[in-house]
Amino acid sequence: MKVGIVGVGCSKFGQRDVTIQELAFEAVSEALKDANLSQEDVELSVVGCVGTRGYELMPAVVVNEYCGFAGKGPLRVEAACATGSAAIYSAYSSIKAGIVDIAIAIGVEKMTEVDTATSAAIGGRAGNYLWEHHFYGTTFPAYYAMHATAHMARFGTTEKQMAMVAVKAHRNAMKNSKAHFQKEIVVEDVLNSRIIAYPLKLYDCSPISDGASAAILASEKMITEHGWDPIWIESIGFSSDTSNMTMREDFVGLKATKLAAEMAYKRAKIEDPLKSFDFATVHDCFTIAEIMAYEDLGFCRKGEGGKFIENGESDFGGKIPVNTFGGLKGKGHPLAATGIAMVYEVTKQLREEAGKLQVDLKHYKALTHNVGGTGHFCWVFIFGR
Amino acid sequence: MIIESRELRLKHRIPVVKTEKFWKGLEGGRVYKTICKCGRSYYPPRADCICGNQTEWVEITGKGVVECFTVVYSMPSGYEWSKPYRIVVARFGDVRVMGWSEEDVFVGDEVSLYTAKDGSGIWKIWFRKG
Repeated sequence: MKVGIVGVGCSKFGQRDVTIQELAFEAVSEALKDANLSQEDVELSVVGCVGTRGYELMPAVVVNEYCGFAGKGPLRVEAACATGSAAIYSAYSSIKAGIVDIAIAIGVEKMTEVDTATSAAIGGRAGNYLWEHHFYGTTFPAYYAMHATAHMARFGTTEKQMAMVAVKAHRNAMKNSKAHFQKEIVVEDVLNSRIIAYPLKLYDCSPISDGASAAILASEKMITEHGWDPIWIESIGFSSDTSNMTMREDFVGLKATKLAAEMAYKRAKIEDPLKSFDFATVHDCFTIAEIMAYEDLGFCRKGEGGKFIENGESDFGGKIPVNTFGGLKGKGHPLAATGIAMVYEVTKQLREEAGKLQVDLKHYKALTHNVGGTGHFCWVFIFGR
Repeated sequence: MIIESRELRLKHRIPVVKTEKFWKGLEGGRVYKTICKCGRSYYPPRADCICGNQTEWVEITGKGVVECFTVVYSMPSGYEWSKPYRIVVARFGDVRVMGWSEEDVFVGDEVSLYTAKDGSGIWKIWFRKG
């Protein structure tokens, strides 16, 4: 029994002066309309929300009520920045197990209602509070910055190469009406922006954004009955790593990404990702994260990620266009919304509805790569049409 | 229109009974890892080995090598008292240790560790060159 995506929705990302439930409803109503369904048709609601910055400490029930799904779940899931993918997986699993035929996965996050220092203290707890943040004041940028210094020292990766990831992201985001940033930047803007955690500067970091996304999944049987033209979930890979960064073997990549990709590729019989996918969406919460993702997903060899962006291999017309929608860096990264927003963007591309950002499709196949924390969780999905 | 929520203050009482030797060790200038007879080593230290045995405490001594670092300029709440700080991870044999450094240490540098209170009065690990 195959499972497909039959409807997607996504709110505009950015600072949004609406409540969490109102924001979620923007994505849900778009997804329902897209699938030509109403709430009564949906059997299970899965609500992904990290929620640690919010005043609603049990956001799933609040979101579920407002979206018209009271009585349909909700199942609340959390996997840090990979929460959206975990929500998709939960909906997928319920259909695959034959428990339901139609399920909705919702990802929503309000991040701008607390001040930046509080947000940094919460993000810095995305690992292990007791042994790391408590003593050393780790922040989310600091964790990736430490990977950047390791990568720079071992492979000669430069701050300029990292800046190129941000420039590409902003350029693409300008053509995406849902994106937080609508401003083109150049390498010097990145290099001259203030340091957040050396060597990462303001423009190396994804913004603090509010956002919501939703995807409706259905069984093959239901898809045939409705006559939908779905995006099929062809393969799923997942992995994770230690909560303590000091328990990792090295800091030049994310082992969870490598293991999740291996699992997804093996299940889909992918031998060479560059010859199998038309494009990819990867987890670029920071510029160094995208460079490490090229390597860990097998787009290039370990240590060559800097050259990969420098040579334009991840841009339109390159070996594999990456984050054509603007990425987390340009579109925004509202934690739980991110993984499902990736599915939204992949669906638009595979349906050839991506407008100015449309990639030429040959294989009608793409992947999403969604990381939680600093490789604390990782999900790799392969989609096809 | 924007309204404000009621304030909710969370400050936790954390039991460190099973790792008390580590916390007391910091105050005495010693840093401990734990090892198990099954061959596993743990840093941060833990009393329970995943194999089911109880671990033993071993002091971390000698030289370490810096594997990565950062300098945090955008500080989280709880660290308002600090100037920008350098977080370093250094490898000491079979474990990696996180600490702060007041010296400009870089990847590949040899370091030794010591303990001292920070500006908020918390005992922690620090690195110095050589």
